[in-house]
Amino acid sequence: MDLEEIVAKDYEQKSAQREKEKRYYEEKLQRTGLKTLDRFLRYCSNPSDYMKNGITYAHRDLENVAEAIAENKPWAVVSGLNPSSPLHLGHKAIFDELLWMQENGAEIYIPLTNDESYVVGKSPSLAESRRIAYESVIPSIIAMGFNSHKTHIYVDSDYKEIYNVAMDVSNKLTLNKALKVFGLDNELDNENPGTMFYRSAVQVAQILLPQYEEFGGPKPTLVPVGIDQHPYILLARDVAEKKGFILPSEIVTKFLWGFDGKGKMSSSRNGSAIFLTDDPNSIDTIVKKSYTGGSPSGKFQKEHGGIPEICPIWSVRTYHFQRDNSVDRKCSSGEILCGQCKKEALEEIKDFLSDHQSKLPEARKRVDEFILKTPINSILE
Amino acid sequence: MELESLLNQEGLVHQKPKTEEIRERASAIDHPVRLFYGETYDAYGDPIDSIKYYFFVSMLSKSLKEEGYSTDPRILVADVAACRNVSSDLNDKYIELGDKRAKFVHKVSDTYNLDLNVVKMSDYLFTPEFQSHLEEIVELCKGDPEIMKRIEKTVPESKIDIERKKSFAYSFDEIGTIIDLDVKVGPPREDLYDDVARKIAEVQQRKSLMSLFLTPTFPLGKSWAYFFANEGIEDHGITAYKAGSKQLQGNRIIVGKTSSLEAGNLIDSSFVPPSLELPHPILDIGIIAEMARINLEGGDFNLYKRVQEGQLDERALKGEVKDSLNKYILSKF
Repeated sequence: MDLEEIVAKDYEQKSAQREKEKRYYEEKLQRTGLKTLDRFLRYCSNPSDYMKNGITYAHRDLENVAEAIAENKPWAVVSGLNPSSPLHLGHKAIFDELLWMQENGAEIYIPLTNDESYVVGKSPSLAESRRIAYESVIPSIIAMGFNSHKTHIYVDSDYKEIYNVAMDVSNKLTLNKALKVFGLDNELDNENPGTMFYRSAVQVAQILLPQYEEFGGPKPTLVPVGIDQHPYILLARDVAEKKGFILPSEIVTKFLWGFDGKGKMSSSRNGSAIFLTDDPNSIDTIVKKSYTGGSPSGKFQKEHGGIPEICPIWSVRTYHFQRDNSVDRKCSSGEILCGQCKKEALEEIKDFLSDHQSKLPEARKRVDEFILKTPINSILE
Repeated sequence: MELESLLNQEGLVHQKPKTEEIRERASAIDHPVRLFYGETYDAYGDPIDSIKYYFFVSMLSKSLKEEGYSTDPRILVADVAACRNVSSDLNDKYIELGDKRAKFVHKVSDTYNLDLNVVKMSDYLFTPEFQSHLEEIVELCKGDPEIMKRIEKTVPESKIDIERKKSFAYSFDEIGTIIDLDVKVGPPREDLYDDVARKIAEVQQRKSLMSLFLTPTFPLGKSWAYFFANEGIEDHGITAYKAGSKQLQGNRIIVGKTSSLEAGNLIDSSFVPPSLELPHPILDIGIIAEMARINLEGGDFNLYKRVQEGQLDERALKGEVKDSLNKYILSKF
């Protein structure tokens, strides 16, 4: 195959990948009955950058939350995280969105699910993911600028109240229902009692916790999720209805590409993620070797442009550093080629990591300020 | 005011026939141009939003008269239709409310020197002439499945069984009333009735009515979140002539009931949209007050243009609308 054929084939494959990507989100939207954010964007005068550029793109029942924002009423956000590794750039996207929500009045609840890390086999012990949570994850979250008065972080195994709440919600569920919602009807070989307890009860407890009496009772609660996490919300909504709570709302953000181009950024694939604790001088290789939406031929790319929608470099820059879609425009028009784009991305990521890491020592001293300790007595008395 | 200026007024006219079509009709007919707006009401009072229609019909009539055409500008108080919307034990009360609404229209007409004729539905509905006219229409419709399908569409799905049992009396009364009109002014949601009337006119090979829709009415004192949550409100708004539409009587200016202070509070707490393509309850009230000023003092519209050009920030707009509302409307009742 000569170069021309290789270039043409590469372009064809990447274009097909872009179409597949687009279809994926459209089909998910149709299947889940979620609504796009178009209407919200028409009315809300200060949407987040992610909403404006389509990264956060769908919702269910955001109306409740919008009313709370507009009328300064209490509302909550629950965004859990599996602390099997330090935070990476993909996580940062979620926390940036949470910061916008906090600026707009939300109380933020962040369960760190070391129990999940252990039962699903992502962490060798409860202790290991617990250690990562306190030493790395929580300081990184604090360093992003959250307000300690409105941010409530807990490590599941240390906030044992959550298991009482899980018990409280358990009798509003059936295992059959949970299996159906998660599509596990015929795939129980990889499940253990812990995973089922976690998925069907603990996760629901985390979502509904802000509506318990100790936190002011029923209130609109928003759960930012990836489209693949939608089933958890369905289960929580089902329980909320039975408990007389407000049905939790959800907002869906598109995932950040891993640098290997093989799907969402993940700590479990080598070459996929840059961690917020990585030495800035150690990331050159992962960025330089990153998959891109560009062409093997610079000449071809200048003429036809790149395909940013499938490019991890575009994804990182647009999510974190150039939120005005300028990278998209330059890439699609062929104005910038991948080498230059990677160079600029590398500088941006290094600057961010240096800045973030400079804040960690102070953040580590403030961990206790953010830890949720409220006892849940209303279900025991 | 010139016909073009009136019909092209943004923020007031939502959809209109071409001015030339109106002139052609006015020239071709051997009777005065029949201009019409009809409304029902509820027990919560007379909303300011009804006045918008009274003003408009009168201004349209005067514009045509200035061009030498003869007009019959008519405001219908649909008392019989209002009674059909409530249980029969409330009929006497609603007939009385119809009298009150008719008096209100007269008062508005006198206060602003409008060119209007006020008619109640009960004045003509049961006359032998109208009943015979109605029978003819019902017969024609029942023989045409396509028209009957359109008539069913005039009824909300939740009420279709009830209306079927009543042989669509409400819809037929409405259609019988509007079929001979030249220009029917109303809110956009009335298109379904107008559509049936036009279809019947087509079958009967006669001139069909021209629909002229004014901009929808929106509640005051609501945040952006209310509008975000109510899909479709941009197209139809709430019912202009019923103060209690969607139980939002607390979010309306009800003439003679809402005080200047209350109106000011409603305006202050109202959403101002980032774009004029979105519902703009304050601009709507401002334009009604502007119509009042034009009727009293002459002059032209200018508020929409100034808002469009960014000459008024939110505070200035709210302040100006409150002032003109008080001066030209609330202080008169």
